[in-house]
Amino acid sequence: MKAEFSFIIIDDSELDCFVTKKFLERTNKNFVIEIFNNAEHALDTIGKNHSLEGDLPTIILLDLQMPRMNGFKFVEEFEKLSPEIQKNYIIIILTVLSPSRDPKDLYGIFTYRKINSIVEKPLTKDKLNSLLNEVRMGSIK
Amino acid sequence: MAEKIKILYVDDEPENLVGFKASLRLDYQIFTAVNIPEAIRYLDKDPEIRVIFCDQRMPGKTGVDFFEEIRITHPLPVRIMLTAYTDVDSIIDAINKGHIFRYVRKPWIEADIIWAIDEANKFYMANSMLAIKNDELQKAYNELNKFAYSVSHDIRGPLSGILGAINLARDVDDVDEMKEMLFLMEKSVTKLNTYVLSMHDYYSLQRGELKITEIDFNNIMDELKAIYSVNSKINHVTFKVNVKQDEVFFSDKAPLRLILNNLLSNAFKYQDKSSKNKSVEVDIEIKKSEAVIYIRDTGIGILASHLGEIFNLFFRSNSLEVGSGFGLYNVKSALVKLNGHIEVDSVLHQGTTFKVTIPST
Repeated sequence: MKAEFSFIIIDDSELDCFVTKKFLERTNKNFVIEIFNNAEHALDTIGKNHSLEGDLPTIILLDLQMPRMNGFKFVEEFEKLSPEIQKNYIIIILTVLSPSRDPKDLYGIFTYRKINSIVEKPLTKDKLNSLLNEVRMGSIK
Repeated sequence: MAEKIKILYVDDEPENLVGFKASLRLDYQIFTAVNIPEAIRYLDKDPEIRVIFCDQRMPGKTGVDFFEEIRITHPLPVRIMLTAYTDVDSIIDAINKGHIFRYVRKPWIEADIIWAIDEANKFYMANSMLAIKNDELQKAYNELNKFAYSVSHDIRGPLSGILGAINLARDVDDVDEMKEMLFLMEKSVTKLNTYVLSMHDYYSLQRGELKITEIDFNNIMDELKAIYSVNSKINHVTFKVNVKQDEVFFSDKAPLRLILNNLLSNAFKYQDKSSKNKSVEVDIEIKKSEAVIYIRDTGIGILASHLGEIFNLFFRSNSLEVGSGFGLYNVKSALVKLNGHIEVDSVLHQGTTFKVTIPST
Protein backbone atom coordinates (compact mmCIF):
# COMPACT_ATOMS: atom_id res chain seq x y z
CA MET A 1 0.00 0.00 0.00
CA LYS A 2 1.42 3.34 -1.05
CA ALA A 3 1.74 5.87 1.75
CA GLU A 4 -0.40 8.98 1.42
CA PHE A 5 1.06 10.87 4.37
CA SER A 6 4.28 11.23 6.21
CA PHE A 7 4.46 11.89 9.92
CA ILE A 8 6.37 13.92 12.45
CA ILE A 9 5.97 12.95 16.09
CA ILE A 10 6.93 15.60 18.65
CA ASP A 11 6.91 14.31 22.20
CA ASP A 12 9.44 14.42 25.05
CA SER A 13 8.50 10.91 26.16
CA GLU A 14 10.49 8.24 24.31
CA LEU A 15 7.95 5.58 25.15
CA ASP A 16 5.08 7.61 23.71
CA CYS A 17 7.04 8.27 20.53
CA PHE A 18 7.81 4.59 20.20
CA VAL A 19 4.22 3.51 20.76
CA THR A 20 2.84 6.09 18.34
CA LYS A 21 5.39 5.13 15.73
CA LYS A 22 4.56 1.43 16.04
CA PHE A 23 0.84 2.12 15.74
CA LEU A 24 1.47 4.11 12.59
CA GLU A 25 3.67 1.42 11.12
CA ARG A 26 1.02 -1.16 11.81
CA THR A 27 -1.47 0.86 9.83
CA ASN A 28 0.86 1.22 6.88
CA LYS A 29 4.43 0.04 6.93
CA ASN A 30 5.34 2.50 4.17
CA PHE A 31 4.64 5.55 6.30
CA VAL A 32 7.69 7.72 6.70
CA ILE A 33 7.90 8.74 10.33
CA GLU A 34 10.27 11.19 11.92
CA ILE A 35 10.57 11.53 15.70
CA PHE A 36 11.60 14.60 17.72
CA ASN A 37 11.91 14.57 21.51
CA ASN A 38 12.41 18.30 21.41
CA ALA A 39 10.05 20.78 19.74
CA GLU A 40 12.83 23.26 18.95
CA HIS A 41 14.64 20.69 16.81
CA ALA A 42 11.42 19.82 15.04
CA LEU A 43 10.76 23.48 14.29
CA ASP A 44 14.30 23.95 12.94
CA THR A 45 13.91 20.99 10.63
CA ILE A 46 10.49 22.06 9.40
CA GLY A 47 11.65 25.66 8.98
CA LYS A 48 14.34 24.48 6.58
CA ASN A 49 11.49 23.00 4.55
CA HIS A 50 13.01 19.65 4.91
CA SER A 51 10.26 17.69 3.21
CA LEU A 52 10.09 13.95 3.35
CA GLU A 53 9.15 11.76 0.41
CA GLY A 54 8.41 14.41 -2.18
CA ASP A 55 5.40 16.49 -1.39
CA LEU A 56 3.30 14.16 0.72
CA PRO A 57 1.24 16.05 3.24
CA THR A 58 2.82 15.67 6.65
CA ILE A 59 0.82 15.09 9.80
CA ILE A 60 2.45 16.49 12.94
CA LEU A 61 1.41 14.66 16.08
CA LEU A 62 2.20 17.15 18.82
CA ASP A 63 2.35 16.72 22.59
CA LEU A 64 1.45 19.80 24.63
CA GLN A 65 3.37 19.65 27.89
CA MET A 66 7.05 19.49 27.11
CA PRO A 67 10.00 21.19 28.79
CA ARG A 68 11.61 24.21 27.10
CA MET A 69 9.33 24.62 24.10
CA ASN A 70 5.85 23.31 24.81
CA GLY A 71 3.20 22.47 22.23
CA PHE A 72 1.51 25.87 22.31
CA LYS A 73 4.78 27.68 21.80
CA PHE A 74 5.61 25.33 18.95
CA VAL A 75 2.37 26.17 17.14
CA GLU A 76 2.91 29.90 17.70
CA GLU A 77 6.35 29.64 16.11
CA PHE A 78 5.06 27.38 13.37
CA GLU A 79 2.45 29.97 12.42
CA LYS A 80 5.28 32.41 11.74
CA LEU A 81 6.75 30.16 9.04
CA SER A 82 6.05 30.93 5.40
CA PRO A 83 2.61 29.83 4.13
CA GLU A 84 4.40 27.72 1.52
CA ILE A 85 5.84 25.58 4.28
CA GLN A 86 2.75 25.64 6.48
CA LYS A 87 0.38 24.33 3.86
CA ASN A 88 2.22 21.04 3.70
CA TYR A 89 1.54 20.25 7.35
CA ILE A 90 -1.45 19.22 9.42
CA ILE A 91 -1.05 19.64 13.17
CA ILE A 92 -2.88 17.28 15.47
CA ILE A 93 -2.53 17.49 19.23
CA LEU A 94 -1.83 14.17 20.90
CA THR A 95 -1.79 14.69 24.64
CA VAL A 96 -2.93 13.61 28.06
CA LEU A 97 -6.17 15.35 28.92
CA SER A 98 -7.11 15.56 32.52
CA PRO A 99 -9.86 17.03 34.61
CA SER A 100 -7.35 19.04 36.64
CA ARG A 101 -6.27 20.82 33.51
CA ASP A 102 -7.41 24.38 33.34
CA PRO A 103 -10.43 24.38 30.98
CA LYS A 104 -9.30 27.78 29.68
CA ASP A 105 -6.24 26.04 28.27
CA LEU A 106 -8.22 23.47 26.39
CA TYR A 107 -10.47 26.11 24.99
CA GLY A 108 -7.36 28.03 24.07
CA ILE A 109 -6.15 25.19 21.89
CA PHE A 110 -8.80 25.91 19.33
CA THR A 111 -7.92 29.57 19.05
CA TYR A 112 -4.84 28.45 17.12
CA ARG A 113 -5.58 28.56 13.43
CA LYS A 114 -3.41 25.57 12.67
CA ILE A 115 -4.90 23.24 15.25
CA ASN A 116 -8.24 21.65 14.68
CA SER A 117 -8.06 18.27 16.19
CA ILE A 118 -7.07 16.74 19.52
CA VAL A 119 -6.50 13.09 20.24
CA GLU A 120 -6.32 11.94 23.82
CA LYS A 121 -3.46 9.68 24.87
CA PRO A 122 -3.06 6.76 24.92
CA LEU A 123 -3.33 6.34 21.19
CA THR A 124 -5.19 3.21 20.06
CA LYS A 125 -5.70 1.58 16.69
CA ASP A 126 -9.31 2.81 16.59
CA LYS A 127 -8.42 6.40 17.40
CA LEU A 128 -5.69 6.36 14.78
CA ASN A 129 -7.94 4.94 12.08
CA SER A 130 -10.72 7.40 12.67
CA LEU A 131 -8.19 10.22 12.71
CA LEU A 132 -6.67 9.16 9.38
CA ASN A 133 -10.14 8.82 7.89
CA GLU A 134 -11.02 12.32 8.94
CA VAL A 135 -7.85 13.65 7.36
CA ARG A 136 -8.57 11.74 4.14
CA MET A 137 -12.12 13.07 4.02
CA GLY A 138 -10.71 16.55 4.33
CA SER A 139 -12.53 17.42 7.54
CA ILE A 140 -9.14 18.12 9.13
CA LYS A 141 -6.92 20.47 7.20
CA MET B 1 11.88 46.40 74.17
CA ALA B 2 9.38 46.65 71.38
CA GLU B 3 9.50 49.78 69.29
CA LYS B 4 7.20 52.57 70.34
CA ILE B 5 3.86 52.71 68.58
CA LYS B 6 3.75 55.57 66.08
CA ILE B 7 0.86 57.98 66.45
CA LEU B 8 -0.21 60.96 64.39
CA TYR B 9 -2.30 63.76 65.89
CA VAL B 10 -3.92 66.37 63.66
CA ASP B 11 -5.36 69.54 65.20
CA ASP B 12 -5.47 73.17 64.09
CA GLU B 13 -4.71 74.45 67.60
CA PRO B 14 -0.97 74.20 68.30
CA GLU B 15 -1.44 74.21 72.08
CA ASN B 16 -3.52 71.02 71.85
CA LEU B 17 -0.75 69.37 69.87
CA VAL B 18 1.87 70.41 72.41
CA GLY B 19 -0.20 69.12 75.31
CA PHE B 20 -0.88 65.82 73.59
CA LYS B 21 2.74 65.26 72.74
CA ALA B 22 3.93 66.27 76.21
CA SER B 23 1.80 63.79 78.06
CA LEU B 24 2.23 60.82 75.70
CA ARG B 25 5.69 61.11 74.19
CA LEU B 26 7.36 58.83 76.73
CA ASP B 27 5.25 55.83 75.83
CA TYR B 28 4.61 56.50 72.16
CA GLN B 29 6.29 58.09 69.21
CA ILE B 30 4.10 61.11 68.48
CA PHE B 31 3.87 63.05 65.21
CA THR B 32 1.79 66.21 65.19
CA ALA B 33 0.34 68.11 62.26
CA VAL B 34 -1.34 71.47 62.37
CA ASN B 35 -3.22 70.96 59.12
CA ILE B 36 -4.31 68.20 56.78
CA PRO B 37 -1.65 68.53 54.05
CA GLU B 38 1.03 68.27 56.72
CA ALA B 39 -0.70 65.17 58.14
CA ILE B 40 -0.74 63.55 54.72
CA ARG B 41 2.94 64.29 54.29
CA TYR B 42 3.64 62.39 57.53
CA LEU B 43 1.51 59.46 56.37
CA ASP B 44 3.29 59.31 53.01
CA LYS B 45 6.68 59.46 54.66
CA ASP B 46 6.08 56.93 57.41
CA PRO B 47 3.98 53.90 56.54
CA GLU B 48 4.35 52.58 60.07
CA ILE B 49 2.03 55.12 61.66
CA ARG B 50 -0.57 52.96 63.34
CA VAL B 51 -3.04 55.33 64.96
CA ILE B 52 -4.35 58.70 63.79
CA PHE B 53 -6.17 61.13 66.07
CA CYS B 54 -7.90 63.99 64.34
CA ASP B 55 -9.87 66.97 65.53
CA GLN B 56 -13.27 67.38 63.86
CA ARG B 57 -13.51 71.16 63.70
CA MET B 58 -10.74 72.58 61.59
CA PRO B 59 -10.66 75.36 59.00
CA GLY B 60 -11.08 74.05 55.46
CA LYS B 61 -11.58 70.34 55.69
CA THR B 62 -13.22 68.71 58.71
CA GLY B 63 -11.85 65.64 60.46
CA VAL B 64 -14.53 63.57 58.72
CA ASP B 65 -13.39 64.78 55.30
CA PHE B 66 -9.81 63.94 56.18
CA PHE B 67 -10.69 60.43 57.35
CA GLU B 68 -12.89 59.81 54.35
CA GLU B 69 -9.99 60.73 52.09
CA ILE B 70 -7.23 58.72 53.77
CA ARG B 71 -9.48 55.67 54.20
CA ILE B 72 -8.75 55.06 50.52
CA THR B 73 -5.18 56.36 50.23
CA HIS B 74 -3.85 55.15 53.60
CA PRO B 75 -6.16 52.35 54.73
CA LEU B 76 -3.89 50.77 57.35
CA PRO B 77 -3.68 53.29 60.24
CA VAL B 78 -6.55 53.15 62.72
CA ARG B 79 -8.65 56.32 62.73
CA ILE B 80 -9.83 57.99 65.95
CA MET B 81 -11.88 61.20 66.06
CA LEU B 82 -11.44 63.88 68.70
CA THR B 83 -14.33 66.25 69.08
CA ALA B 84 -15.05 69.03 71.53
CA TYR B 85 -18.76 69.03 70.87
CA THR B 86 -21.30 66.44 71.57
CA ASP B 87 -22.09 66.95 67.95
CA VAL B 88 -24.07 63.84 67.09
CA ASP B 89 -24.24 64.54 63.35
CA SER B 90 -20.50 64.79 62.89
CA ILE B 91 -19.96 61.63 64.90
CA ILE B 92 -22.46 59.74 62.76
CA ASP B 93 -20.72 61.11 59.68
CA ALA B 94 -17.36 60.08 61.04
CA ILE B 95 -18.59 56.56 61.58
CA ASN B 96 -20.35 56.23 58.26
CA LYS B 97 -18.02 58.10 55.94
CA GLY B 98 -14.70 57.99 57.73
CA HIS B 99 -15.13 54.47 59.12
CA ILE B 100 -13.55 55.59 62.36
CA PHE B 101 -12.58 53.12 65.01
CA ARG B 102 -13.43 55.27 68.08
CA TYR B 103 -14.16 58.79 69.05
CA VAL B 104 -12.76 60.52 72.11
CA ARG B 105 -14.40 63.54 73.59
CA LYS B 106 -12.53 66.81 74.13
CA PRO B 107 -11.18 67.87 76.52
CA TRP B 108 -9.64 64.45 76.69
CA ILE B 109 -8.21 62.75 79.73
CA GLU B 110 -5.03 60.76 79.38
CA ALA B 111 -6.58 57.45 80.45
CA ASP B 112 -9.13 57.64 77.61
CA ILE B 113 -6.42 58.29 75.05
CA ILE B 114 -4.20 55.47 76.31
CA TRP B 115 -7.07 53.07 76.34
CA ALA B 116 -8.06 54.09 72.80
CA ILE B 117 -4.48 53.60 71.61
CA ASP B 118 -4.29 50.17 73.19
CA GLU B 119 -7.48 49.04 71.56
CA ALA B 120 -6.54 50.59 68.23
CA ASN B 121 -3.17 48.88 68.33
CA LYS B 122 -4.79 45.49 68.95
CA PHE B 123 -7.12 46.12 66.05
CA TYR B 124 -4.20 47.15 63.84
CA MET B 125 -2.20 44.04 64.77
CA ALA B 126 -5.13 41.72 64.13
CA ASN B 127 -5.67 43.31 60.73
CA SER B 128 -2.06 43.08 59.67
CA MET B 129 -1.79 39.49 60.90
CA LEU B 130 -4.80 38.72 58.81
CA ALA B 131 -3.17 40.32 55.78
CA ILE B 132 -0.02 38.23 56.32
CA LYS B 133 -2.04 35.05 56.75
CA ASN B 134 -3.97 35.88 53.63
CA ASP B 135 -0.77 36.24 51.66
CA GLU B 136 0.50 32.93 52.97
CA LEU B 137 -2.76 31.22 52.12
CA GLN B 138 -2.74 32.69 48.64
CA LYS B 139 0.78 31.39 48.13
CA ALA B 140 -0.12 27.92 49.38
CA TYR B 141 -3.18 27.94 47.17
CA ASN B 142 -1.20 28.92 44.08
CA GLU B 143 1.27 26.16 44.77
CA LEU B 144 -1.52 23.64 45.17
CA ASN B 145 -2.95 24.75 41.86
CA LYS B 146 0.36 24.30 40.14
CA PHE B 147 0.70 20.96 41.83
CA ALA B 148 -2.62 19.60 40.65
CA TYR B 149 -1.81 20.83 37.19
CA SER B 150 1.56 19.18 37.03
CA VAL B 151 0.38 15.91 38.51
CA SER B 152 -1.74 15.45 35.40
CA HIS B 153 1.33 15.47 33.23
CA ASP B 154 3.91 13.86 35.46
CA ILE B 155 1.80 11.00 36.73
CA ARG B 156 -0.76 10.54 34.03
CA GLY B 157 1.82 11.13 31.30
CA PRO B 158 3.98 8.08 32.00
CA LEU B 159 0.88 6.06 32.88
CA SER B 160 -0.80 6.75 29.59
CA GLY B 161 2.44 5.89 27.81
CA ILE B 162 2.58 2.54 29.55
CA LEU B 163 -1.09 1.98 28.82
CA GLY B 164 -0.50 2.72 25.15
CA ALA B 165 2.41 0.29 25.10
CA ILE B 166 0.31 -2.46 26.66
CA ASN B 167 -2.38 -1.79 24.11
CA LEU B 168 0.19 -2.06 21.33
CA ALA B 169 1.80 -5.17 22.83
CA ARG B 170 -1.32 -7.19 22.06
CA ASP B 171 -0.28 -7.20 18.41
CA VAL B 172 3.47 -7.56 18.83
CA ASP B 173 5.01 -10.95 18.03
CA ASP B 174 8.59 -9.97 17.57
CA VAL B 175 10.60 -10.61 20.73
CA ASP B 176 13.21 -7.91 20.08
CA GLU B 177 10.54 -5.32 19.52
CA MET B 178 8.87 -6.46 22.71
CA LYS B 179 12.14 -6.14 24.60
CA GLU B 180 12.69 -2.64 23.31
CA MET B 181 9.22 -1.75 24.49
CA LEU B 182 9.79 -3.27 27.91
CA PHE B 183 12.99 -1.24 28.23
CA LEU B 184 11.13 1.98 27.49
CA MET B 185 8.28 0.99 29.78
CA GLU B 186 10.77 0.40 32.56
CA LYS B 187 12.15 3.90 32.06
CA SER B 188 8.67 5.34 32.37
CA VAL B 189 7.97 3.38 35.53
CA THR B 190 11.28 4.49 37.03
CA LYS B 191 10.44 8.07 36.23
CA LEU B 192 7.06 7.72 37.86
CA ASN B 193 8.67 6.17 40.93
CA THR B 194 11.21 9.00 41.21
CA TYR B 195 8.40 11.49 40.90
CA VAL B 196 6.45 9.94 43.76
CA LEU B 197 9.59 9.82 45.94
CA SER B 198 10.37 13.49 45.33
CA MET B 199 6.78 14.35 46.02
CA HIS B 200 7.25 12.71 49.38
CA ASP B 201 10.39 14.81 49.97
CA TYR B 202 8.45 17.88 48.99
CA TYR B 203 5.68 17.10 51.43
CA SER B 204 7.94 16.31 54.37
CA LEU B 205 9.93 19.49 53.79
CA GLN B 206 6.79 21.59 53.87
CA ARG B 207 5.38 20.02 57.02
CA GLY B 208 8.19 18.55 59.06
CA GLU B 209 9.75 19.98 62.21
CA LEU B 210 13.50 20.35 62.51
CA LYS B 211 15.43 17.58 64.27
CA ILE B 212 18.82 18.97 65.21
CA THR B 213 21.69 16.53 65.75
CA GLU B 214 25.45 16.67 65.55
CA ILE B 215 26.52 16.30 61.93
CA ASP B 216 29.55 14.40 60.72
CA PHE B 217 29.99 15.41 57.08
CA ASN B 218 32.47 12.58 56.47
CA ASN B 219 29.82 10.17 57.52
CA ILE B 220 27.13 11.64 55.24
CA MET B 221 29.50 11.80 52.28
CA ASP B 222 30.58 8.18 52.81
CA GLU B 223 26.98 7.10 52.45
CA LEU B 224 26.55 9.20 49.31
CA LYS B 225 29.86 7.99 47.88
CA ALA B 226 28.63 4.43 48.21
CA ILE B 227 25.48 5.33 46.28
CA TYR B 228 27.19 7.26 43.48
CA SER B 229 30.28 5.10 43.02
CA VAL B 230 28.25 2.74 40.82
CA ASN B 231 27.16 5.56 38.55
CA SER B 232 30.69 6.93 38.56
CA LYS B 233 32.14 3.60 37.37
CA ILE B 234 29.52 2.79 34.76
CA ASN B 235 29.55 6.23 33.16
CA HIS B 236 33.27 6.91 33.63
CA VAL B 237 32.76 10.00 35.74
CA THR B 238 35.60 10.81 38.13
CA PHE B 239 34.10 11.40 41.56
CA LYS B 240 36.15 13.33 44.12
CA VAL B 241 35.06 14.17 47.63
CA ASN B 242 36.95 16.44 49.99
CA VAL B 243 35.72 17.08 53.52
CA LYS B 244 37.46 19.38 56.02
CA GLN B 245 35.65 19.30 59.33
CA ASP B 246 37.57 20.20 62.50
CA GLU B 247 34.69 21.49 64.54
CA VAL B 248 31.28 20.30 65.63
CA PHE B 249 28.34 21.18 63.47
CA PHE B 250 24.68 20.99 64.37
CA SER B 251 21.87 20.76 61.87
CA ASP B 252 19.01 18.57 60.69
CA LYS B 253 20.44 15.60 58.86
CA ALA B 254 17.46 14.79 56.63
CA PRO B 255 17.22 18.09 54.71
CA LEU B 256 21.02 18.33 54.64
CA ARG B 257 21.27 14.93 53.02
CA LEU B 258 18.46 15.84 50.63
CA ILE B 259 20.36 18.92 49.48
CA LEU B 260 23.59 17.02 48.86
CA ASN B 261 21.82 14.09 47.26
CA ASN B 262 19.80 16.20 44.84
CA LEU B 263 22.76 18.29 43.77
CA LEU B 264 24.90 15.18 43.30
CA SER B 265 22.17 13.41 41.40
CA ASN B 266 21.95 16.37 39.00
CA ALA B 267 25.73 16.58 38.69
CA PHE B 268 25.83 12.96 37.51
CA LYS B 269 22.65 13.09 35.48
CA TYR B 270 23.54 16.11 33.38
CA GLN B 271 26.98 14.99 32.23
CA ASP B 272 27.86 15.37 28.59
CA LYS B 273 27.75 11.76 27.37
CA SER B 274 30.24 12.38 24.60
CA SER B 275 32.81 14.14 26.77
CA LYS B 276 36.12 12.39 27.57
CA ASN B 277 36.84 14.01 30.92
CA LYS B 278 33.76 13.76 33.06
CA SER B 279 33.98 14.62 36.71
CA VAL B 280 32.00 15.51 39.79
CA GLU B 281 33.78 17.19 42.70
CA VAL B 282 32.49 17.88 46.17
CA ASP B 283 34.35 20.21 48.54
CA ILE B 284 33.05 20.70 52.04
CA GLU B 285 34.67 22.94 54.60
CA ILE B 286 33.33 23.73 58.06
CA LYS B 287 34.68 26.98 59.41
CA LYS B 288 33.40 29.31 62.10
CA SER B 289 30.16 27.41 62.57
CA GLU B 290 29.39 27.51 58.88
CA ALA B 291 29.48 24.77 56.29
CA VAL B 292 30.54 25.84 52.81
CA ILE B 293 29.86 23.23 50.17
CA TYR B 294 30.92 23.30 46.53
CA ILE B 295 29.54 20.79 44.04
CA ARG B 296 31.24 21.08 40.66
CA ASP B 297 30.47 19.12 37.53
CA THR B 298 31.78 19.07 33.99
CA GLY B 299 28.31 18.64 32.57
CA ILE B 300 26.17 20.23 29.90
CA GLY B 301 25.64 23.42 31.91
CA ILE B 302 22.54 25.57 32.23
CA LEU B 303 21.40 28.27 29.81
CA ALA B 304 22.08 31.67 31.34
CA SER B 305 18.49 32.66 30.71
CA HIS B 306 17.30 29.68 32.75
CA LEU B 307 19.46 30.32 35.80
CA GLY B 308 16.86 32.49 37.46
CA GLU B 309 14.18 29.84 37.14
CA ILE B 310 15.90 26.60 38.03
CA PHE B 311 14.76 26.71 41.66
CA ASN B 312 11.10 27.03 40.70
CA LEU B 313 8.69 24.17 41.22
CA PHE B 314 8.27 22.02 38.09
CA PHE B 315 10.79 24.00 36.07
CA ARG B 316 12.77 21.79 33.71
CA SER B 317 15.63 23.25 31.78
CA ASN B 318 16.39 20.23 29.70
CA SER B 319 14.47 17.70 27.70
CA LEU B 320 17.32 15.27 27.19
CA GLU B 321 17.09 13.69 30.59
CA VAL B 322 14.22 12.74 32.77
CA GLY B 323 13.57 15.38 35.37
CA SER B 324 10.59 15.85 37.60
CA GLY B 325 10.98 19.57 38.19
CA PHE B 326 11.07 18.87 41.92
CA GLY B 327 14.79 18.48 42.59
CA LEU B 328 16.15 22.01 42.91
CA TYR B 329 12.89 23.30 44.31
CA ASN B 330 13.26 20.79 47.13
CA VAL B 331 16.89 21.85 47.60
CA LYS B 332 15.77 25.44 47.95
CA SER B 333 13.00 24.56 50.44
CA ALA B 334 15.45 22.49 52.49
CA LEU B 335 17.86 25.43 52.54
CA VAL B 336 15.17 27.82 53.69
CA LYS B 337 14.54 25.40 56.54
CA LEU B 338 18.21 25.32 57.50
CA ASN B 339 18.74 29.08 57.03
CA GLY B 340 21.22 28.38 54.30
CA HIS B 341 21.60 29.74 50.83
CA ILE B 342 22.73 28.64 47.42
CA GLU B 343 24.53 30.21 44.49
CA VAL B 344 24.94 28.79 41.04
CA ASP B 345 27.51 29.43 38.39
CA SER B 346 27.23 27.69 35.06
CA VAL B 347 28.81 27.75 31.62
CA LEU B 348 26.97 25.99 28.83
CA HIS B 349 28.79 22.85 27.62
CA GLN B 350 31.43 23.26 30.34
CA GLY B 351 29.77 22.62 33.64
CA THR B 352 27.98 23.91 36.67
CA THR B 353 29.08 24.81 40.18
CA PHE B 354 26.70 25.08 43.09
CA LYS B 355 27.88 26.79 46.25
CA VAL B 356 25.84 26.06 49.36
CA THR B 357 26.32 27.79 52.70
CA ILE B 358 24.63 26.48 55.83
CA PRO B 359 25.09 27.86 59.36
CA SER B 360 25.43 25.51 62.31
CA THR B 361 22.27 25.62 64.40
